[in-house]
Amino acid sequence: MEEPRIGVYVCWCGTNISKMVDVEAVTNEVKALPNVTIAKNYKYMCSDPGQDLIIKDIKLHNLNRVVVAACSPRIHELTFRTACEKAGINPYLFEMANVREQDSWVHTDRTEATNKAIDLVVAAIRRVRYHEPLQKRFVNVNPATLIIGGGISGLTAALEIANAGKQVYLVEKSDQLGGQVKKFDLTFPHLSSAQQMIRPIVQRVDNHPNISVFLETEIREVTGYIGNFKTAISVNGGDPVELEFGNIIAAVGLKPFNPEVISEYNYKEFPDVITSFEFEEKLLAGRILTVYGKEPRNVAIIHCVGSRNKKYHEYCSRVCCMAALKYVHQVRAALPSANIFEIYADMRAYGKGHEEFYALTTHRQIMFLMYDQQKKLPVINQADRSDNCNMIIEMDELLSGQSIEVPVDMVILMVNMEAQENVKQVVRAIGVSLCGNQFFIEKHPKLDPVATTTGGVYIIGTCQGPKDIPDSVAQARAAAARILGAIAQGSVPIEVTTASVNELLCCGCQTCIGVCPYKAISYDENNKVSIVNEILCKGCGTCGSACPAGAIISKHFTDLQILSEIEGVMSMS
Amino acid sequence: MDFRPKIVAFLCNWCAYTGADLAGTSRIHYAPNIRIIRIMCSGRIEPTFILKAFQQGADGVLVCGCHPGDCHYQEGNYKCLRRFKLLQKFTRQMGIEKDRLRLEWISASEGKQFAELVNDMTKTLLSMGPSKVKSSLEVEHLNV
Amino acid sequence: MSVRVHPELRNQLMQFGIGDWNACYHCGTCTAMCPLSEEGFLFPRKKIRLMQMGLKNEIESSVEPWLCYYCGDCTSTCPRDANPGELMMSLRRYLTSIYDWTGLSKKFYTSEVWEIGSILLIAVLVVIAFLIGLPAMGYSFTTELTSQGGVKINSFAPIHIIEAFDWAMAIVVGGLLISNILRMYYKIIWKHGHTKVTFWVHVREFWRLVFNFSVQPKFGKCDDKRYWFSHWFLMSGYTIMFIVVVVFLPWFQTEKILPPWHLQRALGYYATFGLLFGLLVAITGRMRRKDVKFYFSHVSDWLFLVMLTLTVITGILIHIFRIYGMPYATYIFYIIHMAVLVPMILIEVPFSKWSHLAYRPFAVYFQHLKTHAVPRKTKINSIN
Repeated sequence: MEEPRIGVYVCWCGTNISKMVDVEAVTNEVKALPNVTIAKNYKYMCSDPGQDLIIKDIKLHNLNRVVVAACSPRIHELTFRTACEKAGINPYLFEMANVREQDSWVHTDRTEATNKAIDLVVAAIRRVRYHEPLQKRFVNVNPATLIIGGGISGLTAALEIANAGKQVYLVEKSDQLGGQVKKFDLTFPHLSSAQQMIRPIVQRVDNHPNISVFLETEIREVTGYIGNFKTAISVNGGDPVELEFGNIIAAVGLKPFNPEVISEYNYKEFPDVITSFEFEEKLLAGRILTVYGKEPRNVAIIHCVGSRNKKYHEYCSRVCCMAALKYVHQVRAALPSANIFEIYADMRAYGKGHEEFYALTTHRQIMFLMYDQQKKLPVINQADRSDNCNMIIEMDELLSGQSIEVPVDMVILMVNMEAQENVKQVVRAIGVSLCGNQFFIEKHPKLDPVATTTGGVYIIGTCQGPKDIPDSVAQARAAAARILGAIAQGSVPIEVTTASVNELLCCGCQTCIGVCPYKAISYDENNKVSIVNEILCKGCGTCGSACPAGAIISKHFTDLQILSEIEGVMSMS
Repeated sequence: MDFRPKIVAFLCNWCAYTGADLAGTSRIHYAPNIRIIRIMCSGRIEPTFILKAFQQGADGVLVCGCHPGDCHYQEGNYKCLRRFKLLQKFTRQMGIEKDRLRLEWISASEGKQFAELVNDMTKTLLSMGPSKVKSSLEVEHLNV
Repeated sequence: MSVRVHPELRNQLMQFGIGDWNACYHCGTCTAMCPLSEEGFLFPRKKIRLMQMGLKNEIESSVEPWLCYYCGDCTSTCPRDANPGELMMSLRRYLTSIYDWTGLSKKFYTSEVWEIGSILLIAVLVVIAFLIGLPAMGYSFTTELTSQGGVKINSFAPIHIIEAFDWAMAIVVGGLLISNILRMYYKIIWKHGHTKVTFWVHVREFWRLVFNFSVQPKFGKCDDKRYWFSHWFLMSGYTIMFIVVVVFLPWFQTEKILPPWHLQRALGYYATFGLLFGLLVAITGRMRRKDVKFYFSHVSDWLFLVMLTLTVITGILIHIFRIYGMPYATYIFYIIHMAVLVPMILIEVPFSKWSHLAYRPFAVYFQHLKTHAVPRKTKINSIN
């Protein structure tokens, strides 16, 4: 290894750092440390002049390592790595010390903060000495795409990709395309027909030359990695068909919550207590009738059934409030003299045109009644003969503070949007994680909502979380754009900071194979050693810490690097 | 001189380290005794790292990962937990008190919880006094 | 104890006024803005809620609508244009119809045909009484003038007949009003809750009734004091006029022309001026529609203003024509005056807008009775 020549740069960040950390003292403290060629401080290291300072020094002083003490590496690591690259040194020969988010901003004693900054910078200097250059790598992308789920999201993504001239394999578990939208009558807030929306899309998918649809088919196992996946599917129990594709979109959708578990609502007990999905069937059939074949005179719509309640699901399903208001319009149109009760916990009208839709609905002779989800749910009871109605809802009305009785003949339960059941198989096959509510986890909740931590695997629609049609479609098109981008490039960059096996040390115990969540390690029977597929590896390092022989190297997080860092933070005390 | 405990903390990149950054952006003040080392996943933490920190004179070691089920790498935090339980048995036999070594889950949104955790651990260590690991190692070294 | 909601009641309430109360989403801005809303008697939001839910008994036992003097701040600050001010006005109309046991009030408020028809019918009866009734009873008027040159008005309108009629009318109207106030008392104090009000409290708080009737201090709490002043001016003029006409008619309706500073004329002028001033403010206000309180005008609002104005103007004309010795003009306007005044008193006072002169001060009285109510000792309560 060539002798490290380290340049250390301490950032003031205006007064953000310099107010609490004596940057001059830090610079002086580290100046004389071994391997430190030059140490400087500057007002804003991330600015163009700041970066130029590094670039010039690298060239002038022939530096081969750089340490910047500034903000969190989550913010500017890439900035400085790029600067190093510009100056001609490998970007991984750089290390950052976080002296803002984890020092100057959280402490109040200037001496203590300065000492801490020194510790952190020393640690970074010790660590960077053992950094090794890493090379960017790419894999080719198969232009075909596998889409799992034939609902509105899957169909939209399929058309988007197929229209760009690329092959799509669309796999659907049920016997028809269209998903939940096909079960709906109207959509909110424009009250336009769901059928007129979904049918042409299904037709276009069915007839598209670039889309192969596989109905009643499930994905059991997927092998390969980004750009080069493989699966075998069997259609109608026939011989398995082998498919190859470069990207995967999971659009497995949702499942309506089963309200039987909520004893207050007596669902199944009373035949005229129905879920919103069952009510859609009535609407599609064209008549709103009770089980007695009569038009209901009193219709109640109960919101948040299974939602926003720690006993069932804590999260909000997002679409039920507006769907409930949609029912108001539909019931009002069908039964002009009926009494309609909206029994809600909070009215959530966050979307485009939703608040207006809500305002419009308030003028349609509806009685809005509010209940407290946390205190007491409304209770549906059988009515007496003298009540002149089918059922009675007893509830504590929040806005009036009154305990009231509501006469009803039909109750619509706005059921929660649950994650699909039985997705474990798909989850394992494509390598995505589930959150506590069993929804698929995206790569970044804000900045990368359709990708996952597995390269080449995207999640769209309600399997990622409850959402309405426009949001599902937007995600579908977003994922399609990402995939088309990768296909257009022809190849995609893959993780650099992966694990690798030092075959001389490996004893072939295969401990690492068991701990790898990405099936990235395999056993080489011939040489009796483990081998890391660096395309599948995400660089978590779990195998490295599990290896009893110390044969696995976690690139950029090697034992030596981390141990030096530990020595560094402790060296000044 | 006052006893100023030193805590070496290993924080996973995706949850705990981000949570610590959030404490910063939210300007939540906490005790300056902690030195944070970033790793990609709590599953990467080797017993060696923790023992090394104690050997170097750390009065406490803190390991933070994602909450169960939230691991960026699916289940690295579970592996960390299993390993941690074993290690804790071992460190206690070595004479390192239980409270000097902690494993906590901190999510990316739990800046406040992180600050409280650091304060809490600092307080505990202050009441416990300095760790004897380093000095005992030095004594043995002299005897040899 | 749970109460049944009545969706149909909302539709009934809609007939009593203008405004879309369903638009309310209960932010409570109106209650926060209201200078009259107070602990234990919060409005308008709570009342809007009762109305939206159709809680009949709760609405009928409410005293709050009468505690609102309609400054309009709630309506102008409402983010949903739900018009809480007009709701309170509508609730007052509704409550008036509920207190009234004859059912006529509801008819008058909800049907213009009924209200205007009844007014016209009574007016025609008054005209007939003068043109046919009095001559038939053997009364004949004279066009001769007094020694002072004034009209001999008592020959046309025999003082004891008119006085007897006035008393009769006052007794009928008063009887109706008192029976309605008793119903109001029953609904607000007697019927509801597990509380009772001791006799001593009734006596001790009685001064509030008198005080609120004569001064309207609550109205004065509204931010715009001008309306309190004009209202008080109008009200005092009306009261004076009512008392002198009903109780002191022989002293008031004289053929002798007294000097202008005489108490009879001075009181008359004050009352006339007070009425005119108050009416001018109200009529111009309702025509300009600048202030929220005058923005929405129900038929009953206009009818009342027009009739009172006509009564005052014809009264002034009678006075002028009598003094200047113009018998025919005097007599004709006397008939018109009575043809407007009698239906106004008979319809407006017990059944319509004018009843607020009794309900408002009584409401304040009842409010204080409620404040001092003590738990009723019943078996149910002791278990609880």
